Amino acid sequence: MSADPLKDIRLQEYTLDNLPLLARLRKGLLHTRPAVCIERARHVTKYLRDMSREDEPMMTRYAGAVAHFLKEKQAFFFDDNLLAGTTCAKPFGAPVYPEWTGMTIWPELEVINTREKNPQQLTAAEADELNFEIYPYWMDRNVLEVTRKRHHNPPCMRLFERIVFFIGSKAGTISHTVPYYELALEKGVAYIIAQAALKEASLKAQGPLNDEQSRSLQFYQAVQTALEGVLAYARRLSERAAELAQQERHPLRKANFEQMAAVCARVPAQPARTFREAINALWIIQVAIHAENINMAMSPGRLDQILYPYYRADMASGGLTIPQALELIGCLWLKLNDNTNLVPETAEELFGGAGTVPAVTLGGVTAKGEDAVNDLTYLMLRVTELLKTRDPSLNARYHQEINTKAYRNRVAEVISTTQSVPAIHNDRVDIKTLERQGLATEHARDYAVIGCVELASAGRSYDASSSIMLNLASVLELALYNGKRPVTGDDQIGPATGEAAAFTGFEEFWNAFAKQFQWLASQAIELNELFGRMYQEILPSPLLSAFFQGPLDKGQDLIFGGALYNSSGATHIGFADTVDSLSAIERAVFLDRKCTFEELLDALRKNFEGYETLHAYLVNRTPKYGGDDPAAQRNAQRVVRLLFDFYQAHTNYRGGKYRPGFWTMTNHAGQGKLCGALPNGRKANKVFASGITPVSQAAVSLAGCLQAVGGLDPLCIPGGEAFNLKYPALSGAEDIERFGAGIETYFECGGLHIQCNIMSYDMLLEAKENPEKYPELLVRVSGYSAYFKDLNDAMKEEIITRTAYDLGSGQAVAFPEKNSGMLGTK
Amino acid sequence: MWQTLLNKILLRGQRAESAAKQFLESLKSEAAEGFLELLLKLMSLVFYIDPGFRRNIENFQGRYLFRSQDRGITVAAVFQDSRLKVSQEEIKDTNVTVIFRNGKALMNFLLSPKPDILGSLLRQDLSIDGNLNYLYKFAYMAKHLQLKFMPRS
Repeated sequence: MSADPLKDIRLQEYTLDNLPLLARLRKGLLHTRPAVCIERARHVTKYLRDMSREDEPMMTRYAGAVAHFLKEKQAFFFDDNLLAGTTCAKPFGAPVYPEWTGMTIWPELEVINTREKNPQQLTAAEADELNFEIYPYWMDRNVLEVTRKRHHNPPCMRLFERIVFFIGSKAGTISHTVPYYELALEKGVAYIIAQAALKEASLKAQGPLNDEQSRSLQFYQAVQTALEGVLAYARRLSERAAELAQQERHPLRKANFEQMAAVCARVPAQPARTFREAINALWIIQVAIHAENINMAMSPGRLDQILYPYYRADMASGGLTIPQALELIGCLWLKLNDNTNLVPETAEELFGGAGTVPAVTLGGVTAKGEDAVNDLTYLMLRVTELLKTRDPSLNARYHQEINTKAYRNRVAEVISTTQSVPAIHNDRVDIKTLERQGLATEHARDYAVIGCVELASAGRSYDASSSIMLNLASVLELALYNGKRPVTGDDQIGPATGEAAAFTGFEEFWNAFAKQFQWLASQAIELNELFGRMYQEILPSPLLSAFFQGPLDKGQDLIFGGALYNSSGATHIGFADTVDSLSAIERAVFLDRKCTFEELLDALRKNFEGYETLHAYLVNRTPKYGGDDPAAQRNAQRVVRLLFDFYQAHTNYRGGKYRPGFWTMTNHAGQGKLCGALPNGRKANKVFASGITPVSQAAVSLAGCLQAVGGLDPLCIPGGEAFNLKYPALSGAEDIERFGAGIETYFECGGLHIQCNIMSYDMLLEAKENPEKYPELLVRVSGYSAYFKDLNDAMKEEIITRTAYDLGSGQAVAFPEKNSGMLGTK
Repeated sequence: MWQTLLNKILLRGQRAESAAKQFLESLKSEAAEGFLELLLKLMSLVFYIDPGFRRNIENFQGRYLFRSQDRGITVAAVFQDSRLKVSQEEIKDTNVTVIFRNGKALMNFLLSPKPDILGSLLRQDLSIDGNLNYLYKFAYMAKHLQLKFMPRS
């Protein structure tokens, strides 16, 4: 599998000029405005309200609702894409999921078309249907409100709704996971239905059933019900494609409709025989999973591995050519872009720009530990290079000892061309980290990336990796202000851990910090557990469970712990600013005695006004994470360890451990805007550094920065990390080599993940000033890609100010003085 | 009898126009004093004269309490039997209680320059105790009135 039979792994002879279908489809996608899609909400609501009884088990009802929708779901063919199936009834749709966050746009129904930030089309009739028919049913029924009512609006939920402490993501999603597609492609969905039927029959034959067996019985029945919906949708696609083929006069389009009709008549019901059948079957299942689960980081996984047997067989038989394979891959890439999130305008302003982040993972090693890079890996890299679309979020696994340098350099070249993707993951360390979490070696080796950067054994591990997003800077402020925060005024939020001014040593402050963290994280976990148990009651996932290893054997839905492995992820915002602040307190107050704690607090309250000398000292003279002062690294590692020990001591409602991580999406911008001045010299309301990345402009040496981030114990970061690097330019063989050497250094130190933006300060500043000149500029945010123009100003400034390193000198490029106001310390 | 009914409707229509004018004026005011009372007054009148708008509260039961942080303003709005009843007293068993910093904060929260529920929460301009969906519905109705009576540009 490791050989490179392609004459040119760069596939440079294939361009959008000689792949005109992809060029046309891409143009269409980039010019299509998003529209709210109410189709799913309409049918699911109708089924639950009018076609089922409230006293039926929710497992049965929900499977029925999902199947009803899939049976009613219209077959659309909006363009000439070679794959049948659409997520929405709109070419570029934002589906409404009222069970989760779909109600949040209610106040905006009449203005969402025209809102300033990322408007979405919605007709007056659709708005009326949402307002009068759909939303009223869900007012007391979505996961947030049912949980609130059941638990009498518990303090942990009130804390979550203050937004500035932590986000309990289950109110909006549990999706973040990687399904198991292989079985469905190899054996067909009809086979899975038959297996569930056999299990059902076997249980029934046992005579009277206990409660657990009864639940298993309901589960097996629900799986069959939901999967019948998938097959009904595929039949409808086939029938509609056949009708369109009859009507079509253009010979190529006619042939395409005929092929789609034939493909959907077979898959996903029956085993896929060809590359085209496999890729379309996978897409239809992905669409069907979104009939049940919200479109948030539902990640297809290792597509170069899953689809390779079909590709190889077709290539060997002469049934497929490279351009045809590139077209089919490109069609899948574009299909993965056919939907977006539905979010209210304020959320767009604060956190906007993200796609749905379906992560695709390439390369690395196989379950047996062999080189997994194959021809399809290179075809997928080439398609990514050509299309440069926001999704899929592409991740390249790299094993230093097993993957080739040619592969590494090719990945670097694609990053150079796209200026941002793929992200690179360190196989050696990622696998070890997963093994330490209890995964069998062959399962750990077969990991794929979920959404941003989180790791999962594909189709075996149900990780809900975005369960908690906790603001570490809020922990710091709670410790600084004895359980209060400036943004929440006089309210006593956390425990009283002592007036900071009275602390006589750094350890006292550290203890206060640790206590505040443990209290806040306990609140976040408590809420996650309440949500998780509510999902067990009202939001089971029989359809997704059918595409996982474990649930059918155990007779247990994923949400009850049916997967082979389980975990919940907790990621953290403001890591670098918090670490630097701890170091600043240690150095300034207790070692150098440059100020008293009281003076420091006064300076923070006044946003350093009148404290310019102290501010300059804090910015320039205190240890910075990413720099060469061991004190900073010690505090960074101490924070990592504190979090790891705490979370790993907690078991979730599915029997899995909590896993801490450090990736922030755009939350470091939004939360930064709501945080007071910090001891590291960051001024009030400035964005935080992203993910696990050092504070912008704090780390001047590239090597030092790589060693510092890579030097954090990766085994303590099982929830994944997002490390952002920026280079002004990456071109030519020499740069590619240097870039590769940087990756090697970082990975040898132990870094889990790295992602790069290849863009200069000047170019980004110009893109901010003149967005019309850069409509397709793609940037890595903190674990995913976004179009720069879609980001809010704070997020744009965070990306602009990220330290850029010159590959030649290995030193930070000076930030333009005239724009220094953007920096957090100004 | 028909004439009486018609007169009543016309009268309420005129009152609605007047209430709408006052409501829009309050939106321009910096202090936004009386904004909530005017909004609810306008809402009551429009429910009466506009069957399309009334459809929003058919079969809807909702108990709302709006209170300023200094307790200077307390307004209860109860939707029941396709009617809106407004009082200046605290009520119990609310679906949602909104405690706001001041009239301006509440106005920003609901209407201006856009329905900014999340932003208001982030700024800690107000706190909410209860079911957010009830608030979303209320904000939708308030926004509808703002759009309905706002002069077309």
